[in-house]
Amino acid sequence: MKRILITFFSVCLLLSCSSDDGGTDINNNPTDGFDRQAMLTNWADNIIIPVYSDLNAKLGNIVNAKTNFIDHPTQAKLDNLRMAWQEAYKVWQHAEMFNVGLAESTNYIFQMNVYPTNVNDIESNIQSQNYDLGSVNNNDAVGFPAVEYMLYGLAETDSEILSFYTSSTNADNYKTYLSDLADRMKTLTQSLLDDWNNGFRDSFVANTENSATGSINLMVNDYIFYYEKGFRANKFGIPAGNFSPNPLPDRVEAFYKTDFSKTLALEGIDAIQNFFNGRAYNSSADAEGLKDYLDFLNTIKEGEDLSSLINNQFDEARQKINTLNESFAHQVETSNVAMTETFDVIQLAVVLLKVDMLQALDISVDFVDADGD
Amino acid sequence: MRRSILSLSILALIFTSCSDDDSVTTVSSDVEAPASYTFEREGQSTVSFSGQTTRILMGDELNTSLLDNTQTETELLSMFAHQQGDSDFLNNELNASDKNIRSKTAASRDFFFTNSTASNAIKTQFETWISEQVNEIFTAWDDTAAEGVAGQIQEAGGGSIRYVNAKGLEYNQAIIKGLIGALMTDQMLNNYLSPAVLDQADNIANNDNDITEEGKNYTTMEHKWDEAFGYLYGTDNPTNPQLNQDSFLNKYLSRVENDEDFAGIAQEIYDAFKLGRAAIVAKEYELRDQQAELIKEKVSEIIGIRSVYYLQQGKNFLANDKGAAFHDLSEGFGFIYSLKFTRQPNSDSPYFTANEVDTMLTSLLEGNGFWDVSEQTLDDFSDQIAARFNFTVEQAAD
Repeated sequence: MKRILITFFSVCLLLSCSSDDGGTDINNNPTDGFDRQAMLTNWADNIIIPVYSDLNAKLGNIVNAKTNFIDHPTQAKLDNLRMAWQEAYKVWQHAEMFNVGLAESTNYIFQMNVYPTNVNDIESNIQSQNYDLGSVNNNDAVGFPAVEYMLYGLAETDSEILSFYTSSTNADNYKTYLSDLADRMKTLTQSLLDDWNNGFRDSFVANTENSATGSINLMVNDYIFYYEKGFRANKFGIPAGNFSPNPLPDRVEAFYKTDFSKTLALEGIDAIQNFFNGRAYNSSADAEGLKDYLDFLNTIKEGEDLSSLINNQFDEARQKINTLNESFAHQVETSNVAMTETFDVIQLAVVLLKVDMLQALDISVDFVDADGD
Repeated sequence: MRRSILSLSILALIFTSCSDDDSVTTVSSDVEAPASYTFEREGQSTVSFSGQTTRILMGDELNTSLLDNTQTETELLSMFAHQQGDSDFLNNELNASDKNIRSKTAASRDFFFTNSTASNAIKTQFETWISEQVNEIFTAWDDTAAEGVAGQIQEAGGGSIRYVNAKGLEYNQAIIKGLIGALMTDQMLNNYLSPAVLDQADNIANNDNDITEEGKNYTTMEHKWDEAFGYLYGTDNPTNPQLNQDSFLNKYLSRVENDEDFAGIAQEIYDAFKLGRAAIVAKEYELRDQQAELIKEKVSEIIGIRSVYYLQQGKNFLANDKGAAFHDLSEGFGFIYSLKFTRQPNSDSPYFTANEVDTMLTSLLEGNGFWDVSEQTLDDFSDQIAARFNFTVEQAAD
């Protein structure tokens, strides 16, 4: 799969000197001695599958709350559904970085969290009642952002929003669309989880080789791509206007729920750091992860352990995010510099991950940066 | 094959330290540069820098339009931040382009990759100057400039009319001379000549194995080098540069070359570009980087020399010809702004930091700005700038 990441600046190898004289053949992965299978096993059994399981359960809660709501829409049931959406969206922040197996082949991420959601497409689907939610054309009319629009964005006040599901002439259409959105997310996630539990987990863990299709290579590329695109660019850079002539506050994640952007971003940085350290999703147990791999290879940068530098940078990013407004749209509109400063702190880890870590692990980048020339 | 080569370069990185970073020296090498900047693969030219040509041409049109008082603020800002398909330029090829000036302003890998905040501030500075040109200058087009009053001021002896703000600054000069640093120099020295860009991802392995870009006959590394070249020669004849072919670096390389104290600099820069490109073809990356360091030094020098030149010219006219003085000081203002994008060879630093530059510029505009700047201040700044480069104030002043 070829992905293109349009970056403001091109991302590159930071070579301070370019001599590539020959040398002894050390670090010839995967025979470097690190237990690559143990890391893959930890990823699969303690992180990826538990994340998908939790997400699947939380989406199940959305489906139940939705069924309850459309059966007889009330404020209490709307609140209940909104809470279910929030809880699931937080778990999603831990899942977006995994783009292997069925997730990759079904474009799962594009069906779950493309924002800004396209209100025109949603409304037209609702009017026409004729849609295929799996169609690429509907990537921006489904998933968490679309549900968010249905729960928070239809009108200014809750009573007006409720009226779309009660008194509006199209109330049945709205209920159906909301229902279909929730069901679709649940179905997709269930399939993914089933796939992992029925064979994919074993082949993932067994594929320890260092090649473009090796599990570690794929996951590490997904991880860095997520860090640069899903996390850095989507949540911060794009709304802050780092890729456009002007800031775009309507591009934030959780635009309609507004005061939820920061919560999601903080979940995101936790997920990123936990994955790096190999920390289990359901406990504080810590097993083989990228940190351990780098430490095993004794990767030093400017006298410090690369893994410590990366963890410190994640900590700094979290601290900086914590200083932002709960609503990133509000932050962009009131003090965008804080937003771009946060982007810059996040960006510092891109260098460590994409240059230093990939060099140490001898992994090639599988997505390209286009600088526009 | 590609993987093992990559591993070796990584090994070299991890286990060897750089030993060649102390000065611009030459290593013995068998690489010979061609007579002109001509490189081919299977009989076809591999040299390509159309994106740079496009941006220079956009800058040239912006330069003209900044003195056309029928232009609106929106029209001028749209020339700076052109969107593909919009009719912002007279030249329809530019209108069709997906390039613009703004996205490459203060956007180099080395200086701004982890500093989008500073990058945004610089982009905003240019937009502010453009807006002020319309809102302060165009609105006072026929007024007579005076201390604290924007308007026109004529050079002595029936000379050119200059359009200045209340402090005597021509915004159009600040913008165009500032872009020499923020666009051309920054992209050339701090982006395309940077090992971080030249050696990005698998560039070394691909260049070593002559793996060209998809649908192209050049390797990525070759192309990056050409893009650096294009910011200087993009509107010139690349095989036989005439110089003075744009409003930016090419023009001022010509000016510096025509000062006998610096004659030969144009050939030095051209030769370095040729040899560096030949070194890439020969896969001699140490030689390549030496040429890059030489270019960093010499191109930075253009900006240093012209900064001092205009400060000194301004000083000479200050007493008796305010119009001429303000014009020179406005050009100097833009060149000093550009100093923050220069690059000291074998270092991570510009010749003057952004803070140092901003301090000088603030000082020049203090009070009534050019109306009451002292000759002493202009001499002090000239001395400061020359001292950091390898030339004297006297050499630069004429």
